[in-house]
Amino acid sequence: MYINTRIRVFIDVLKSLSRYGRFRVGIAIIAILIALSLISLASPPRYKQWYVYPKDRPPQLTSSIDMILGTTTNGRSVFWIMVNALANSLCIGLLTALIGSHIGLLIGLLAGISRGKTELGFILLIDSFVVLPGLPILIVLALALKQSMTIHTIPLILSVIAWAWPARNVRSIALSVMSRDFITIASFSGIKFRSILLYEVMPYVLGWHLTNFINTIIWAIGMETALAIFGLSILSEDTLGTMLYWVLNFNALFRGLWWWILPPIVLLILIFIGFYLISVSVSTYLNPRLRGGVA
Amino acid sequence: MHPFVKHFINRTIVLVVTLFIAFNISYFLLRAIPTSAVDTMLNAIAQMGQRLDPEEFMRMRQTLLELFGLTGSPLDQYLSYLRRFFTLDFGASFIVFPRPAREVVLRYLPWTVGLLLFTTVISWSLGNILGVTVSFAKNRYISRFLENLAIVLYPIPYYVFSLALIYIFAFLIPIFTLSPATMPAIRISTLHDLLNVVIHLMKAASLPAISIIVISAFGWWFISSRNLSLVAMTEDYVIYARLRGIDVGRIRRDYVLRGIMVPQVTALALALGAIFSGALVTEYIFAYPGLGSLLYQAIIIGDYPIALTILSLSMIGVTLATWFLDTFVYYLVDPRIRYAR
Repeated sequence: MYINTRIRVFIDVLKSLSRYGRFRVGIAIIAILIALSLISLASPPRYKQWYVYPKDRPPQLTSSIDMILGTTTNGRSVFWIMVNALANSLCIGLLTALIGSHIGLLIGLLAGISRGKTELGFILLIDSFVVLPGLPILIVLALALKQSMTIHTIPLILSVIAWAWPARNVRSIALSVMSRDFITIASFSGIKFRSILLYEVMPYVLGWHLTNFINTIIWAIGMETALAIFGLSILSEDTLGTMLYWVLNFNALFRGLWWWILPPIVLLILIFIGFYLISVSVSTYLNPRLRGGVA
Repeated sequence: MHPFVKHFINRTIVLVVTLFIAFNISYFLLRAIPTSAVDTMLNAIAQMGQRLDPEEFMRMRQTLLELFGLTGSPLDQYLSYLRRFFTLDFGASFIVFPRPAREVVLRYLPWTVGLLLFTTVISWSLGNILGVTVSFAKNRYISRFLENLAIVLYPIPYYVFSLALIYIFAFLIPIFTLSPATMPAIRISTLHDLLNVVIHLMKAASLPAISIIVISAFGWWFISSRNLSLVAMTEDYVIYARLRGIDVGRIRRDYVLRGIMVPQVTALALALGAIFSGALVTEYIFAYPGLGSLLYQAIIIGDYPIALTILSLSMIGVTLATWFLDTFVYYLVDPRIRYAR
């Protein structure tokens, strides 16, 4: 019964969100990207080896799908690299968001409900991580841990920085909710502090947690790309970032190998736009004062 | 206590804690590199054809060991790294061997600072002015267009956008040549020298500057200033000013734009780290002779002194700039702090 109402609430929220044109476009983009990344499950094992295919071939239609986007200078099929890179990048983004934004949620809530010296301590901690320049720190991390990096440990590295923005956001939301009348009434009527936090404050915070989650995905994919461009990601695996690294490394830009350059750039731009459209429509839905501008 | 003093003390504590955290993260991470890594590194350098006599080789090994804090007692290690971190003294560079890394890095620094200062000032002002203007003409076709453009542009990092720019403007329509910019020594004695430096800077910096300005002016600064001014326009003092019949231009400038300055300065201070990171990668992609390109070379070759100098310098620089913005510029734009007693 309880779960039923929860599902109904969820469906209602989805329905009102889908009234935003931006939300629909965002969902459509992400759905297409996820479908593309699922194709990677069917990739032939030899796609990882170098010089299996002829070098530098432009896209051509043959009986197999391998050559549809041409091949790279190291003789690999761009199509299979692309779908695998997409899957890995999405995986990195999702894992970082799962770890980082939840740490942020926890610390933000703790900072929001604590008072006095502890609160000051939390504010200091969050503020210093927020203004910390992310890329240099991550470069030091990647330099130190380069040997032991895999697709599943990069998110751990990224999470060291990723939690700060969500924490800051959650703290300010929690503070504004805690100062409202119904919280005071709830605590006067003898409801336990833990229940107030879980059932009165959390519902407000969770919506914002969703936008934080999506923004962390965007941030993580962008950061992995930045690290990879400097050659500090896992170069033996395919991510959209390492794809760009090889593109730059083999000077594909000046040799006019457009079929190798465009897929990572287009996919990255689509990922960023798709997730951001969803995040923007969720935050517009949550913040009525901004609703004015959206059709 | 005067509120500015209070604000100043608060911000300074954040500055100190931030620097302390940044320092500790980099220290403990570098400790994670095992000692044998130093020998591996030295072998790699030897293989690259660098001729070193044994004495220099041992000195380099010593520097590397000290660099990773592997000599002396734990406290000594910590203190020596602390000194290196804040004086940026990481020993001799490998790329230009006997030269100290600090000297090499400081030579590249003006290029990065110039690019960053220029693009940040332009994009921040442009984005804010545009955002306020558009929010006053909410239903015009052009403002709808700008708004949607901003939403598409904002989430794209500079470096991805700059790759697209290079592809279009250096390959499809070759307006800009993309030869790596060489770096003349910046020594200005006559007006002619100054002119030369400026022209050279324009040639090297226009594409990276455009990519940073377009993304951040039409992206984040535009969106946030539009949102803030939409809220500010519903404030009582703005409505009162309208009812009094004050000229719309003046309301826009002195009531709304002035009002959103305070949160926007804070936002700029918070975003500085991210702006810097983006610029670092953009510089490398455009082969712009700044810290980004140097960092890339240093990482590829394994030149840890230079890499660490750049990383420490950027951590210290960004936190100092954030602190400066958030105390002094904030003081200028926030009358509550300036006039309160």
